[in-house]
Amino acid sequence: MGEIEIELRVNEAVTRSTVPPRLTLADFLRERCGLTGTHLGCEHGVCGACTVLLDGDAVRSCLVFAVQADGHDVTTIEGLDGPDGSLSPVQQAFRDHHGLQCGFCTPGFVVTAEAFLRDNPDPTDDQIREAVSGNLCRCTGYQGILAALRAAADAVET
Amino acid sequence: MKPAPFDYHAPTTAEEAVALLAELGDTAKLIAGGQSLVPMLALRLAVFEHLVDLGRVENLRGIERVGDSLRVGATTTQSAVERSEVAADAVPLLARATPLIGHVQIRNRGTVGGSLAHADAAAEYPAVALALDAEMEVLSPTGRRTVASPDFFTGLWSTAVGDDELLTAVRFPVWSGRCGFAIREFARRHGDFAIAGAAVAVELDGDDRVRRGTIALFGLGPSAQRSDPAEAALGGAAVDDVDADELGQVAVASLDSVPSDLHGSSAYRRRVGAAMVADAWRAASEEARHG
Amino acid sequence: MTPATAGLDGAAGRYTGSRVHRVEDPRLLRGRGTFVDDVVRPRMLHACFVRSPFARARLGAVDATEALALPGVHAVFTAADLNPGVHEAWYTSMGKDVPDTPRPPLAEGEARFVGDPVALVVASDRYVAEDAVELVDVDYDPLPALVDYHDGPQADALVHERYAGNVAGSLGAPCPDDLAAVFASAAHDVSVTIHQQAYAPVPLETRGIIVEWSGEELTVWAATQAPHEVRMFLARLLGVAEHQVRVIMRDTGGAFGQKVLPMREDMCVALAARLLPAPVKWIEDRRENLMAAGMSRHEHGDLRMGFDGDGRVVGAYIDHTQDVGAYPTPWPVGTAAAVGMLFPGPYRVPRAGFRTTSVFSNTSGRTAYRGPWQFESVAREVLLDIAARRMGIDPAEVRRRNLLRRDELPCTNPNGMPYSDISPAETFEQALAMLDYDAFRRQQAEAREHGRHLGVGTCTYVEPTTTGMAYYGTEGATIRIEPTGTVNVYVSGGSTGNSLETAVVQLTADALGVDLADVRTVQGDTAVTPFGAGTGGSRSGSMLAGAVAETAGVLRERIVAIAAHLLEASPDDIELGESRAQVRGTPAAAVPLAKIADVAYFAPAKLPDGVPAGLEASGRHHARNPMIWANATHVCTCEVDVTTGAVRLLRYIVSEDCGPMINPSVVEGQIAGGTVQGIGGALFEHLAYDEDGNPLTTTFMDYLLPTATEVPAIEYGHVETPGPGPGGFKGVGEGGAIGAPPAVVNAVADALAPFGVEITRLPLTPATIVELIEGAR
Repeated sequence: MGEIEIELRVNEAVTRSTVPPRLTLADFLRERCGLTGTHLGCEHGVCGACTVLLDGDAVRSCLVFAVQADGHDVTTIEGLDGPDGSLSPVQQAFRDHHGLQCGFCTPGFVVTAEAFLRDNPDPTDDQIREAVSGNLCRCTGYQGILAALRAAADAVET
Repeated sequence: MKPAPFDYHAPTTAEEAVALLAELGDTAKLIAGGQSLVPMLALRLAVFEHLVDLGRVENLRGIERVGDSLRVGATTTQSAVERSEVAADAVPLLARATPLIGHVQIRNRGTVGGSLAHADAAAEYPAVALALDAEMEVLSPTGRRTVASPDFFTGLWSTAVGDDELLTAVRFPVWSGRCGFAIREFARRHGDFAIAGAAVAVELDGDDRVRRGTIALFGLGPSAQRSDPAEAALGGAAVDDVDADELGQVAVASLDSVPSDLHGSSAYRRRVGAAMVADAWRAASEEARHG
Repeated sequence: MTPATAGLDGAAGRYTGSRVHRVEDPRLLRGRGTFVDDVVRPRMLHACFVRSPFARARLGAVDATEALALPGVHAVFTAADLNPGVHEAWYTSMGKDVPDTPRPPLAEGEARFVGDPVALVVASDRYVAEDAVELVDVDYDPLPALVDYHDGPQADALVHERYAGNVAGSLGAPCPDDLAAVFASAAHDVSVTIHQQAYAPVPLETRGIIVEWSGEELTVWAATQAPHEVRMFLARLLGVAEHQVRVIMRDTGGAFGQKVLPMREDMCVALAARLLPAPVKWIEDRRENLMAAGMSRHEHGDLRMGFDGDGRVVGAYIDHTQDVGAYPTPWPVGTAAAVGMLFPGPYRVPRAGFRTTSVFSNTSGRTAYRGPWQFESVAREVLLDIAARRMGIDPAEVRRRNLLRRDELPCTNPNGMPYSDISPAETFEQALAMLDYDAFRRQQAEAREHGRHLGVGTCTYVEPTTTGMAYYGTEGATIRIEPTGTVNVYVSGGSTGNSLETAVVQLTADALGVDLADVRTVQGDTAVTPFGAGTGGSRSGSMLAGAVAETAGVLRERIVAIAAHLLEASPDDIELGESRAQVRGTPAAAVPLAKIADVAYFAPAKLPDGVPAGLEASGRHHARNPMIWANATHVCTCEVDVTTGAVRLLRYIVSEDCGPMINPSVVEGQIAGGTVQGIGGALFEHLAYDEDGNPLTTTFMDYLLPTATEVPAIEYGHVETPGPGPGGFKGVGEGGAIGAPPAVVNAVADALAPFGVEITRLPLTPATIVELIEGAR
């Protein structure tokens, strides 16, 4: 089985690697790039903890093979905060509204929320719920997460 | 939970993809968005020696209005359909079905052709294709052919697409006139595969009689299916004479292989299916009548 | 703002009691946390288990030839390789004298459930390890399995040969004659059997461990609630001294009881590490987690409650039976007694009794889960609603007539539970007022006229938190005020989302009168933190507050003495705040903590007589109470679609009394998280098996966790009765998961009351709701 050379942009840095075809993008990011903020909660595409942006779209990185991302642009949770380490408005809203507890699902929620609010700057509460319904959280009961998205959306609006 | 090893092929044309399939035989599997396939690979419920990725085949993607139909390339993502004004305008049922598929991260990768070719019994797109009499464009090593939707879905996770063939596009007829469309489904949670669902398309004549009425069911058999008895009941009927609940009952009465599992017995699925047909009929006929 | 002078007076603190930002958040939000799977060690190997595909099978030969031939495979271990390495395998939290149930590292002789670990493959990465697992050939001889614990006592099949009737143990007694006589003569004698399905903690991060053996020291990175328990357990397991073992955990992705103790897989990895030339990592995948990380909640109760003509309880009895699976962790019998002892709940119950029986089955073992005894509330509260309807009294009114009132407290329940410092009547009334119960009843009546089915349900419970017993009875803290005046606090840790870092920083900042930004905490490394029992039993808030107070008190005294000496004032006139010491009323006469620290470390000659150099202290809190009681009322309203059986939750209110709050956001987060787990248990989650013992829900497509679209907004009410421990704080970690299932069940039952439906079986799936309605018609 041949390994394949790939080149992609990860958090704006060009990254080259040789990978077995079966290596998932999630494992590529975690093991080859050291970007361990992308978490694996189910590895079968339900929990959303591994959500990253692929060419700007939120996708489950456990359901994409690294070879499929060849030539594409990937943004992980590590690529969302400011260069000085400051939190993005969405990250700050999660902090302000107790939108995380153990933090394991958090990167997936934040990445999903960033893409959602970029595309839907003025969402309804129902749209917010739907937007994060593909991400599972077991700690917060979603209360703080929904409050965070509401606040982040309202901040964008004003 | 890691997939077994496989070789990876990334053809850039549909012809190249089909040639690969012919060469590799049943050891190969096409992958488009991979949203159904990759979980099965990860769980090792499916193992293939070769994956042929359609992601780099450019001319398989796109949504365009061609005459009286909407042509959707097979690797067009569900999100692209969701965002498409052309699709919403030409084929409202397709547009309305799309947000019911999984979650946004799934729709961002999942493709129209992948969903149809995977032919999950509880998926939305097969029912939409059936309800609208869509046609599938299939490429084989010997040429192109067109398959009508009733001939396309052949059973549990099976279609008329051969091992060496590729679904390249779907043509959804654009219904004109006094039409209405609705899709209703019931799932344990938002975004789950439906326990039961129904897609209804209806066209009325000037006297509020049904000129054309189709009902497709999903989650209620080994694959999506049209309900012939219910459609027969609609034929030529005046809208006011159609009892929605009765229509629902008729739609499920003669089903003979309704699945049963942890989430509900066959009887329960029938009951929910009937309710979905009734709701979808109400909404579709209302739209046809009042626009 | 007044500088804090009384460190732990909950409400009066500068930070304690306020919604300060969590100190854990920046790293977690930026993807820079350190969960066990994020840790990489040089030459690290990866483990994967070969698991039984049969619920019960005699184990024959294991042929690993093909697996070992696969490039990248380092070893395949069987029970013969690993199990003899066990020295001792008992949990500190339970003690070594309990009549513990079997728990071999790898299955020996017989596989006892689907998922039972049979062999361990070690390879260069997890992909290869999984390839190799498929190549290990195990000779299984399938045997008849006991899948349904209800059949246990009569079954021919024995899960463990030496347990007759498959009974792991029993406590309590059959209903005594005099109690039976009370029921027989009661105006209303209500008997009902209530069944709860198996569901599980399901943290988003699965279990995981890395073990590295240097020849002298065992270093372990673990996803755990209790690093010190992991250390003690593994030291005993391997027969090495406790101080040769170092356990490190930074971030753990949820646990809820599942990670309170090392389990069989952890034992295997530790035993294997001794036989390997390199560190070994095992990260459980989700299928393993749902198949083999344990189940909880699977139990039923034969209940009997007597009422007088006014609906007042005259007696209560529960005969409780629980499924403990094949390999429960820990010993399940003692915990189950709490179900019986707490069954009377927060009500005036003159007479009561219980019996509890733990029965093995060929399924995943029972594990601890957030409020392990919660069936007492499910049973009692569902029964109360059933009884109320049978008596023709509103369920709220029945509770009102029976709830313990403040003037009756403290009191001891008829099973010997010494209630104190609780407010069940107050939380009940507060929650009903928040809903406007009477208005809801009017709305419900109106809706019914339009064919809509609304319902309201409540649950009021009383909960023992912060046990003071044995292993759990003390908690330590070390505080180092560094030479620059910044502060590090060292506590055992075990935070799994419950914000222990934030809580400790808040408490310490107030106790020492320093700015929050000047305090950091080090947790979860047994090499540097004092012993502590970790997260469990809703103990951390109170115990850590005690530990910080104990330690900070010593340092305050020293700081004050030094400050007084430097400022030439009386120690009595020194007050601390905002990271400095000043003479009360004379802001100009002040000295920053940094200066005091500088003197303490670098100019000991300037210290007053009798004050030691340095500003570092350790202290240990010792709980003086056997437990600290907390209580709450949950109120839920719903609408049921009687065609599909769908339940939509409309409003969800929790009024709780956890005493003063260290951080209200953290308290509410705990309540919400527990509540949504309880909603999951009532409506969605079911760890199900088919009749052959095959698990049916080993993916997240089948095991349904609630998502953001299924949960209601949760409204909070607080009643504050200080508890007897430090700061008056009580535990709040588990209650949500206790109160929610019965509140939801009762709401659905209330909605369906016009159909004459009685609900006695969970979960309430749409299909089962339809079945109930059809059955009643």
